[in-house]
Amino acid sequence: MAQTIILTNNPLVVEKLGPGAPVEYLQCSYKSVLEAARDRVHQGAKLLSHPLSGSVKPGETPYKSIILTMGKGDVDEQSLRLIENAILACAKFQQRCDRYRPAVDLDCRLIDWTLLEGALASANQ
Amino acid sequence: MKLEIGNIFIKDIQFAAESKVADGVLYVDKAALEKVVLEDETIKAVSFDIAKPGESVRITPVKDVIEPRVKVEGPGGIFPGIIAKVDTVGSGKTHVLKGMAVVTAGKIVGFQEGIIDMSGPGAKYTPFSQTLNLVMVCEPVEGLKQHDYEKAVRLAGFRVATVLGELGRDVTPDETKVYETCGIKEGIEKYPNLPRVAYVQMLQSQGLLHDTYVYGVDAKKTLSTILWPTETMDGAIVSGNCVSACDKNPTYVHENNPVVEDLFAQHGKTLNFVCQIITNENVYLADKQRSSDWTAKMCRLLDLDGVIVSQEGFGNPDTDLIMNCKKIEAQGVKTVIITDEYAGRDGKSQSLADADAAADAVVTGGNANEVIILPKMDKVIGTLDYVNKIAGASEETLQADGSLKVELQVITGATNETGFINLSAR
Repeated sequence: MAQTIILTNNPLVVEKLGPGAPVEYLQCSYKSVLEAARDRVHQGAKLLSHPLSGSVKPGETPYKSIILTMGKGDVDEQSLRLIENAILACAKFQQRCDRYRPAVDLDCRLIDWTLLEGALASANQ
Repeated sequence: MKLEIGNIFIKDIQFAAESKVADGVLYVDKAALEKVVLEDETIKAVSFDIAKPGESVRITPVKDVIEPRVKVEGPGGIFPGIIAKVDTVGSGKTHVLKGMAVVTAGKIVGFQEGIIDMSGPGAKYTPFSQTLNLVMVCEPVEGLKQHDYEKAVRLAGFRVATVLGELGRDVTPDETKVYETCGIKEGIEKYPNLPRVAYVQMLQSQGLLHDTYVYGVDAKKTLSTILWPTETMDGAIVSGNCVSACDKNPTYVHENNPVVEDLFAQHGKTLNFVCQIITNENVYLADKQRSSDWTAKMCRLLDLDGVIVSQEGFGNPDTDLIMNCKKIEAQGVKTVIITDEYAGRDGKSQSLADADAAADAVVTGGNANEVIILPKMDKVIGTLDYVNKIAGASEETLQADGSLKVELQVITGATNETGFINLSAR
């Protein structure tokens, strides 16, 4: 299987996967994680998990984690379509997660982690 | 496979010293039900309440809605693999407490979902404003993790529904309906001139508060497979999800799936209802590919002429929906897909996060971003503490006069993608 990388802005992902895991931690917004993934897709990386995982919509959670291949080369059409549509979808939702209480913020981290955990379980089987 | 459904019409629910069903009234011994819930040591306390259609009551945050049923003849029991043993269900006779529901509510995560208003404008947007609801709010023991709390509440709801369903075992039903489909060869011989149609049901399967269980198995870990359509009427599929409650299927919807109901109504008349195919909606893209490949493969193997595909959720499942549609059509099988829309508050944005020219027959459950004002209710069952934090709600959600300004997203079942409510578009 191709080498993979997890792009995330979720500190819980970093904590759960520990040092040495293929994680690029980004201190940025949900949308910026998608844009970072798009940049990699333009360089030939393929998406391995869906960028709109979960029913907690863009704007409703600050956290996003995406698994991609490390590959460079031709642009993967499906990955590009998915990531572009995900970025477009961000505009449809009200931004409110910047005003969450700390406990709610921790719940958002947990949900993002469980969505990623399911994808990692599939990736590693 | 043949299943007889005996509906016992429940006209009222009352708390009483003894639980029973008599003359269409469900009497509930609260203390006895409390014991059933507290069998699970991770639940510290539970409160029961009754909410009736037309009352000034708001229930939130709703986790699941369950219809009590009991198997009175035939193999297996209700909620196989969870409450009953794992025997295949869907045949024999089942009694249903019709007109009521068990509603589980309680805060598991801080941005949780689900509003049921029993009256006012919000009541029009949820099917569960029309049921007599026995609401149970479970409080966890200190320090219980969200996964364990979710599981505890989910299972407690099924235990309570099972105990209540059992009360209908010896009651003569007010109405009996028979549902029957046949095997492949038999169906071809019996209905040689009718189109062979199946129902492809997509199941939410992504993680905490985003899961569905089939015979007790987490749908994330399943391959696309075939059911007799009557199996779901005995609780073969149950809900473990409630985030963005408008387009999630509570267990009640699985038990009463309107696509299944309508296909049965046409079975032998305008079509041959061959089977139900279930397929998941995982986060990992290779899983999506595998599941949609298998679904399309089965449609071909079964020599279907057409399928109805229902989605559960928005965003990531749009990709599964389009993959299913495109691949099934490529096998020469016609599709009609049922979805809902996130078209922005003004309705002008692109509705789905994925699309394809093959998706040329689409039914919508409405725009989940549409804004609605829910006036203040006299009574809240559950808590409003988190209502600003749920999907579709925002900081200005709770208005000065106590009303809520929300998107339809927050209302349980508002844009249901099996068509369980009447919202749509033309």
